[in-house]
Amino acid sequence: MIDAKPDRKSRKFREIDQFDLNEKSQYYLLPFRFHRITDEKEIIVNEVGDYLTLSNGTFERIVKRQLDKEKDAELYGDLIANFFISEEPIPPLIDVLATRYRTKKLFLNYFTGLHIFVISLRCEHTCHYCQVSRVTQNRDLYDMSIANIDKGIEIMFKSPNPHVTMEFQGGEALLAFDNIKYAVEKAERIADEVGKGLTKVICTNLALINEEILEYCKEHEILISTSLDGPKYVHDKNRHKPHASSYELAIKGIELSRKILGHDRVSALMTTTKLSLAYPVEIIDEYFNLGFQGIFLRNISPYGFALRTDKSKYETEKFLTFYKKALDRILEYNFSGHYFTEDLAKIFLTKILTPFNVGFVDLQSPAGLINGVVVFNYDGGVYATDESRMLAEQKDYTFKLGTLDDSYNDLFFGKKAQEIAQLWANEALTGCSECAFQQYCGADPVHNHATQGDMYGFRPNSDFCQKNMEIIRYLIVLMESDNRIKKIFESWAKTATH
Amino acid sequence: MPFQNEIKDNEIIVFADTSLFSKDSIFKCLYWYGDKFHTNVSFADSNTFRVSVKPISTNRLSQQEQENLLLKLERDLVDFNLRDIVTKETQNVRDLLIAKAFSNGEFDELPPGDVSDPVGFNVNQLKND
Repeated sequence: MIDAKPDRKSRKFREIDQFDLNEKSQYYLLPFRFHRITDEKEIIVNEVGDYLTLSNGTFERIVKRQLDKEKDAELYGDLIANFFISEEPIPPLIDVLATRYRTKKLFLNYFTGLHIFVISLRCEHTCHYCQVSRVTQNRDLYDMSIANIDKGIEIMFKSPNPHVTMEFQGGEALLAFDNIKYAVEKAERIADEVGKGLTKVICTNLALINEEILEYCKEHEILISTSLDGPKYVHDKNRHKPHASSYELAIKGIELSRKILGHDRVSALMTTTKLSLAYPVEIIDEYFNLGFQGIFLRNISPYGFALRTDKSKYETEKFLTFYKKALDRILEYNFSGHYFTEDLAKIFLTKILTPFNVGFVDLQSPAGLINGVVVFNYDGGVYATDESRMLAEQKDYTFKLGTLDDSYNDLFFGKKAQEIAQLWANEALTGCSECAFQQYCGADPVHNHATQGDMYGFRPNSDFCQKNMEIIRYLIVLMESDNRIKKIFESWAKTATH
Repeated sequence: MPFQNEIKDNEIIVFADTSLFSKDSIFKCLYWYGDKFHTNVSFADSNTFRVSVKPISTNRLSQQEQENLLLKLERDLVDFNLRDIVTKETQNVRDLLIAKAFSNGEFDELPPGDVSDPVGFNVNQLKND
């Protein structure tokens, strides 16, 4: 029998007093963090990355229990609904919040996914900022041996991750294309046997690409990742190739790759150098005109040869000015109806605006090294990240986990991995532990070591901290000041989670 | 006689009541000055912290820069003290939250209250029928 209650004013909703269990303005704080984002505004961010922007002084009023449930009804409701305060010592919906926290840390469920094979250190380019490459014909010394490829594949398939990615890097990876073919075919066989997903990527400057290679890539569903630093006058200066234009080869290679593999099977990465800083608009236009749907504005990595050349040194401040000008240009394209993203912003926005996280190695806590990525070097060394092997080229083996002859347990759970693990969570780092942007940022012990001389790092003059703090702050200020921008950013975050 | 915050010989000096400001919050605040300033914490008397910052650079700060720095330090001390209150008050809930998040459900509890349908049907009765 069904018991209906016809005396209700509304059949759809209960009366408001049903939801208000506590008449007094007595509340308990929940964990959240605070930052001033402008002279007038401050932000509070809770443990799962939800934020509220408030007028100055509100944080102090919240902490000092100066809110009045009736006079500040809207704010009070927002704080309750978004888990900043609770009317009970332990919020009744703490399990919901815990599920959301677990979702933010979901990347920890799978362990290492990206396995970088440095298939050859040889290269035919002489880029002034390149960290590692060698212009040489000596295959024996600088190509990964078949024995090491076999060991790398064996270790890769020991990862608990149900889907692994095999990325071939160089030098110029295509100089060792025969070895790539061997590795791809062997990995495909094993993936089928053990039932794991396998993604394959070749990172190449495209100078050596041809139809035969691309037909092979098509047959084996291999993605192409290339480098494009901007217009010809930027790219060719950054990426010097003796007796040829690297830019023209890259453009020709992108066109041919798209023709054979499909438009979306080719991606490009740019690196910002001192020269690039003068051309934010031109670089964006180049990517847009080439039909890319976005660009990743990366600052130059502070590793290896890059730091030693004055030519590539520049201050984070200058990069941030460049970044903001480039982002303005990107927003102009979006205002006129085009979908074009900035991918660093997209990573932050996904963390800020959605319940999800992004498996991006440099912006995770615990850090992406080992948890998300591992590098098998051409000589059999195993490193925590791509940057770690670049440090090794300077005889700095701090992040060498071992060699391909070591056991899986020794590499991934050994003494070195444990040492790094002490410092890979920003929740436990001085300066980060109470930072409002902690949930959006990450820990990068390799970067700290390379730029400041120790893995722990010192946040007040860390370029990693300065850059990420300012970009996150800027994105939030933009969203809060212009609803059109908020809608654009929401569309970027939405596509990132699909 | 109460202590007055002051600027003296290129040094910014701020006083903080020990019953209002935690030692932790003062150190957390000064951490962020460590790249450009010599920092110092001591007791002015048994109830008062004396907090000071002095530029590492030998270049003297202008009067305006010193005044701005004094304001910034005063404000930062308050901010970090408020942050410290939140951190300490919420430590247990935070620990519980993270334990639950990584517990694979063994500490999950049913939400409080009765399960009911907003349209007004008695769900419990429906289940029994």
